Amino acid sequence: MAQVVRARDLLVGYGAAPVCAPVSFTLGEGRAVALVGANGSGKSTVLKAVLGLLAPIAGGVEVLGRPVDERQTWFRREVSSVLDDDAYFPALTVAEHLYLTARGHGVLGAKDEVADLLEEFGLADHARATPVSLSSGQRRRLLLASGFARPRSLLVLDEPEQRLDQRMRASLADRLRAEREAGGAVLIATHDPDLVAAVCTQAVHVADDVSRVLPAGEAADLIARVAL
Amino acid sequence: MTDVDHVPAGEPHDVRDGEHDDPRVGGFELGEVPSARSIRRFTAQAARARAGASIGSLLTEVYTAAVSVALSVAIVLGIVQQLGDSLPQAPAVQQPGGLSLPVLVAVLLLAATGALLSTSGRLGPVGAEGAQAAWWLPLPVDRRGLLRPAAARLPAVAALAGGTVVVVLEAGLLGRGGGDLVRVGLLGAGAGAVVVLAAAVAQTWGASRRRTALAGEVVVAAAPLLAALVVLTGRSPATLPSPSWLVVAGTAALAAVLAVVVDRRLGTLPAGTLREGGSVATQAVGAVVSLDSRELGRALSGGAAASSRRWTSRLRTARGPVTALVTADLVVLRRSPRHVVQLVVAAGLPVLATVVPQLASVVGVLVAVLLGGWMASSASAEGARWAEMAPAVDRLLPLDDRTVRRLRMVVPAAVMLVWSLVALGAVGRWVGATPDWLVLAVASTPVWAAGAVRAAYRPAPRWDKPLVATPAGALPTGVLQVIARGPDLVAFCLLPLWVAIGLGTVTTVMVSAQVVLSVIAVTIASSTAEKGWMERVLEEQDQRKGAGA
Repeated sequence: MAQVVRARDLLVGYGAAPVCAPVSFTLGEGRAVALVGANGSGKSTVLKAVLGLLAPIAGGVEVLGRPVDERQTWFRREVSSVLDDDAYFPALTVAEHLYLTARGHGVLGAKDEVADLLEEFGLADHARATPVSLSSGQRRRLLLASGFARPRSLLVLDEPEQRLDQRMRASLADRLRAEREAGGAVLIATHDPDLVAAVCTQAVHVADDVSRVLPAGEAADLIARVAL
Repeated sequence: MTDVDHVPAGEPHDVRDGEHDDPRVGGFELGEVPSARSIRRFTAQAARARAGASIGSLLTEVYTAAVSVALSVAIVLGIVQQLGDSLPQAPAVQQPGGLSLPVLVAVLLLAATGALLSTSGRLGPVGAEGAQAAWWLPLPVDRRGLLRPAAARLPAVAALAGGTVVVVLEAGLLGRGGGDLVRVGLLGAGAGAVVVLAAAVAQTWGASRRRTALAGEVVVAAAPLLAALVVLTGRSPATLPSPSWLVVAGTAALAAVLAVVVDRRLGTLPAGTLREGGSVATQAVGAVVSLDSRELGRALSGGAAASSRRWTSRLRTARGPVTALVTADLVVLRRSPRHVVQLVVAAGLPVLATVVPQLASVVGVLVAVLLGGWMASSASAEGARWAEMAPAVDRLLPLDDRTVRRLRMVVPAAVMLVWSLVALGAVGRWVGATPDWLVLAVASTPVWAAGAVRAAYRPAPRWDKPLVATPAGALPTGVLQVIARGPDLVAFCLLPLWVAIGLGTVTTVMVSAQVVLSVIAVTIASSTAEKGWMERVLEEQDQRKGAGA
């Protein structure tokens, strides 16, 4: 099983001030790792470091055996991410946003792929709508769909359960499990114990004092027990 | 109507590095990745298609823009001519302790250069606004091609602004014209572009926006210090050399070289930096469009604020809610180098106006005191502006609204007391009765503080009020009403000061009147009512009418 992500004593923060204890974990093909922890514990900051959007204070992180550098084309080709961005081109429709993503990665026959994604994420009726006319939850689904509209080896999602109803959460869990079974690697930051239990093979508890790796089941219990 | 079929179908443009297989998941059939240009073109075409712009509306826009530009040029030329006509001739022999007008212009241009560098640093200067950052930057297309228009925009604006400022100053204050004026104008344009491009080069080498902004602030701070040095040493040349075509060409060549360097290194800019720059630029442009100077200040300050501090202030002077609030304001001001530099420059303005023979007139000193005073008082109320945006901390304190508002005037008052003593001390030295002017300085200080705090707490501009047609275009009255809050106190409650400068003397009556007006200004600024007195009276009348009906 090839390693997709390898974080070693990864210390992240803003300026010189760390936001959590150093994090170490590995993520292989066909595996899913969840970052769990309280609000403000540093989960999203760790994800940003993995995505090359924030330089680590110390330690390091590699993706596919190379140091992270999102400026490199190979990195952007291999890594698909959905963070908490809520920005859209006001003139582009929902379908066009997805089509831009797909075609921008060189996907042929993108029209069919986009149609399938619109159906799956419950956006088929809004394909020709511009994002300003969508509800907050629909915009979130558009963002999530964009993460699947392109090829990838690693999928990184920041609290994907946010603003989704129960049915869509279950559907997302199925999608992520399928991603893993297809050989993809999934890294998510989440507060949802069901998502952890259904999708993840391992979890990292991100905290101030010490960050540690847990089995997924234990992490789901931890979230449910202490309401992380 | 744009349809998904119109999205670029992938021009020959190989960005694969060949070392990796295709990504594993997705089961997509992959072709060539489209060029950055086609991605940009697609987004722009969609925007144009949905903007509903007909040829007629486009022509109307072009006509309106052309008329606006023509009006602006006419106004600027008028000001330039007026300035040139009203300035007295330079004395044949330079007075000791004086400063020649050309040196003052050079000092002003140095300060403007620093301000441009600082602003460029705060804006990025290269950035990607929200949607571009979210939807373009993750694509495996050539990032250089995506960012090229954004990278060219700010240098172009800086060149235009640089050329205009230099022409206005050189023609208006120094009476330069003809080929000389063309050369300095072109030099100003080139220098403006060079400054922004230099900031962009620094950005591509990893210089933080904060560091570039600080470098700009050092240059701004150097300007008044340089002027003081010239005055103290008495070496103020009566004229400055006119730049040759070689210098102009050299500046243009430097700008071209820097532009090429920036263009080649655009692909090295990290997405994080681009996102931050784009976010600040979007906020700043929004503030400019909505005529909200307070929001503009927040955008520029927040953009280059330190993410963490080397030391934590123990706030030793905070011994209760009152002192805590004042201490917090002081810490906010102390941690904003831009505003500290602004205070230094603002203190220098009236001093310079009194030592430059051509400006040392009633009008020159009046304008310098007004500009310098407003710059200084605005800088001193940084704490109040942040508190207006995030009042949560104020609400935690056991203090009522009016007390909080009054306490917010303490730091501006302390700062403005120093400024007033320096500025009016210089005026007193100029007219020859320093002690009287220092008394007036103390008496007028509260008005500056009140004006700054009233401006800091003004409501958001109101665009729902009627427009008033003027020869220069429609004026939004609701916006003007809001913008006038703060400056209105300075204009009316400092009348004794303006009269004193006009007459060149301070009397007991003026000082007494100033004390009374200062009390009135503080009372008005302490009010927490969002609507003006007249507006409240009219609303009450309407309500009474409604009840009667």
